[in-house]
Amino acid sequence: MGEPATAMLKPEAKSEPAGRRTSRWKKHLWGYLFILPAIVIFILFLWVPIIKGAVYSFFTIDFVKGNTFVGFDNYARVLHDPDVWTAVKNTLYYMFLTVIIGFWVPIVASIAISELRFFQGFARIAAYLPFVVPGVVLYGMWRWMYDPVGPINGLLSSFGVEPVSFISDGRWSMISIVFMETWQQFGSAMLIYLAGVLSIPRDWYEAAEIDGAGVWNRIRYITIPSIRNLIVLMFILQIIGTSQAYQSQLALLDGGPNNTTLTYALLIVKYAFNQLDYGSATALGMLMFIVLSLLGLLQFKMNKEDY
Amino acid sequence: MRKFSMVLMCLLLSASVLAACSGGSKTAGGDNQGSGSDGSGSGGTTATTDAGKSEDDITQKKITIKIHYPLPDQKDLRAQEDDKIKRFTEKYPNVTIVKDDWQYSVNEIGIKMASNEAPTFYNTFATEAQMLVERGWVADISDLYNKWEYKDEMNPLLQNQFMVDGKVYGVTQNGYITSTMINKALLDAKQVPVPPLDWTWDDMYNTAKGAADVKKGISGIAPMGKGNEAGWNWTNFLFEAGGEIQKVENGKYTAAFNSDAGVKALDFYKKLRWEANAIPKDWALGWSDALNAFQQGRTAMVIAGAYDVIDAALNQGGLKPENVLAYPMPAAEKGGKHYGILGGNYLVINPNATKDEQEMAFRYITFDYFTDKGLEALEGNIQERKSNNKYFVPAPLNYFKDDSEYGKKVAAIYDKYDNVYKYDPNLFGLLDGKPEAQYGTQDYYGAMSNVVQELFSKKDTDSKKQLDDAAKLVQTKFFDEIKPQQ
Repeated sequence: MGEPATAMLKPEAKSEPAGRRTSRWKKHLWGYLFILPAIVIFILFLWVPIIKGAVYSFFTIDFVKGNTFVGFDNYARVLHDPDVWTAVKNTLYYMFLTVIIGFWVPIVASIAISELRFFQGFARIAAYLPFVVPGVVLYGMWRWMYDPVGPINGLLSSFGVEPVSFISDGRWSMISIVFMETWQQFGSAMLIYLAGVLSIPRDWYEAAEIDGAGVWNRIRYITIPSIRNLIVLMFILQIIGTSQAYQSQLALLDGGPNNTTLTYALLIVKYAFNQLDYGSATALGMLMFIVLSLLGLLQFKMNKEDY
Repeated sequence: MRKFSMVLMCLLLSASVLAACSGGSKTAGGDNQGSGSDGSGSGGTTATTDAGKSEDDITQKKITIKIHYPLPDQKDLRAQEDDKIKRFTEKYPNVTIVKDDWQYSVNEIGIKMASNEAPTFYNTFATEAQMLVERGWVADISDLYNKWEYKDEMNPLLQNQFMVDGKVYGVTQNGYITSTMINKALLDAKQVPVPPLDWTWDDMYNTAKGAADVKKGISGIAPMGKGNEAGWNWTNFLFEAGGEIQKVENGKYTAAFNSDAGVKALDFYKKLRWEANAIPKDWALGWSDALNAFQQGRTAMVIAGAYDVIDAALNQGGLKPENVLAYPMPAAEKGGKHYGILGGNYLVINPNATKDEQEMAFRYITFDYFTDKGLEALEGNIQERKSNNKYFVPAPLNYFKDDSEYGKKVAAIYDKYDNVYKYDPNLFGLLDGKPEAQYGTQDYYGAMSNVVQELFSKKDTDSKKQLDDAAKLVQTKFFDEIKPQQ
């Protein structure tokens, strides 16, 4: 098992003799073999598709007759498509809404739950439950909630408000989607925040209480500063996640009405699977990949600083 | 030793991942002659057992075909298919049948073809014909079809939908001409008279306006407003007004839907939406949403293929047959044509399959066509539904001609059972089927969906401007790119 301690203390030679290299290789061989399946899976299902995507973006893809190299034509086509800019605007608007409507909800929920003296477990489960609702059920349920004669409009009409077309009215459709997704997804983020909040040493709070700090001051001066890095990290992850959103927009409205919920990722799906133009779809995907890589690098850098 | 076992397992796992990911060698790429197949073709395998004796006799060859098979919940259809497989393999003992319950989806067909995983034959719809032919995702079966003894007895109205530039690409199963279905109970509830069968846009307008009950969330009519279906629904009105999707001059395809007829059709939609207030307040309904609304009694009228709507309304929605009326699309004016888009179900053959596989698939598809066994299977299906208290809804159009000998035999079976839905006999004389544009239809539908959605969301849209903008978009983005089949 391993090299003798004396060997490890020796200074590294500039050029290792062949025997030493073999010995080092042997030392790490088992480790490499253990991670081999993971490497194979990553290469096959992550890197090969990424590289193939990059290659495909320069071709007209025809799986039967064969692909044709078209240079930057696919990029030119998508950059001249007015729908692309509509989709970019819609995606930015959607990302903005998710921050305004949804980002603070799990933070508040986690802090509120952490302050509970009783039923904390129940509250955690209750908040997380919407996350396990399958997509099909979720969309059916919220379609009913938003129905012109559904419960939300029923409530509004009891206050004398005219029924609102939450789904079909372009001014409301994206907002309605964000409310629905916030309801479903805040529980999952809440658990992560809750773990962060509960890891703050209790004696800090006890000391603050002795000094006369109330709930608000405890939250303001202890809780929020302690989870600040987590909040920033979750914010970046949310930006990355929401920039790729398309499921709800596709299932509820197929990008309508009149393209108001057409997100960038949905446009990629439409290019690929409605127009069957895989080349242009991958070109759009590559443009997105570049932007998201920058965000990914930022997240990576933050992780590095944290640990 | 333990470490060694773990590493061995890791290596085995890696090997199996690699094996699972490696595709079978394709027979695609132009060489689908079937000779010398190594058995890895997508559709199945072919091997000559006795090269000297049976090289040309397909019945002597070992062939595997992957067939289109019903979904697990379609138990009666599965039982029928199993019976057909049994009879087919008795006649062709060298053929191995592999069942594949993948159902055609435009979102999945590209992936299926790319991965060489599409069955030897698969189901599809009339609306897909041009796209599939343009992409080369269906085999040219002209030779097989032209040699078939029953080719002249096929219903030409349907069969011609999958004939492009004189070549045959599919075999029809059944079809429809897009119609309007009316929920009579909702009309009765508001004391709205049932319109005449030979109806017009004005009749539709009055019926929709009268039947709508906004407070209860019931609309008079639910024109589809989501996805390409929105454009598809509206195109019926375009045709009725005398318009066309595109025109072809000297091989160039030009958008033609921004004509006066198009404006007239779009203005009719505006009247239904803003004047009659007859469409659902939440109008973003796709095909299945609209059908659901109809079967739930939330809309008095819906536009689609009659079979799909009626079958769902009777067997899932629990509506009574006397309350579900099938109408032709209304004529724009009295005496006008009741144009509806032709639609239907087809079976097409995978071009990646070898020639032998393609031929055997063709034999399988047509195995029960025009035979007494086909009649027995049909009767069994009706009896099965009767025993389950379900209705049988015949397709309005069949692969055979209704006035043929075979058609009369089928009609005699329908007459024997009271759970068979009966169309108004005068309906068929009023149906005017019109095929879709030959190229770029789905792209056009997609563009028109936005036009319809804008019209439904904004009150004072300019129909002419909307159509001109859409025509310009469709022309530059799609029609100018069309390269017709050679």
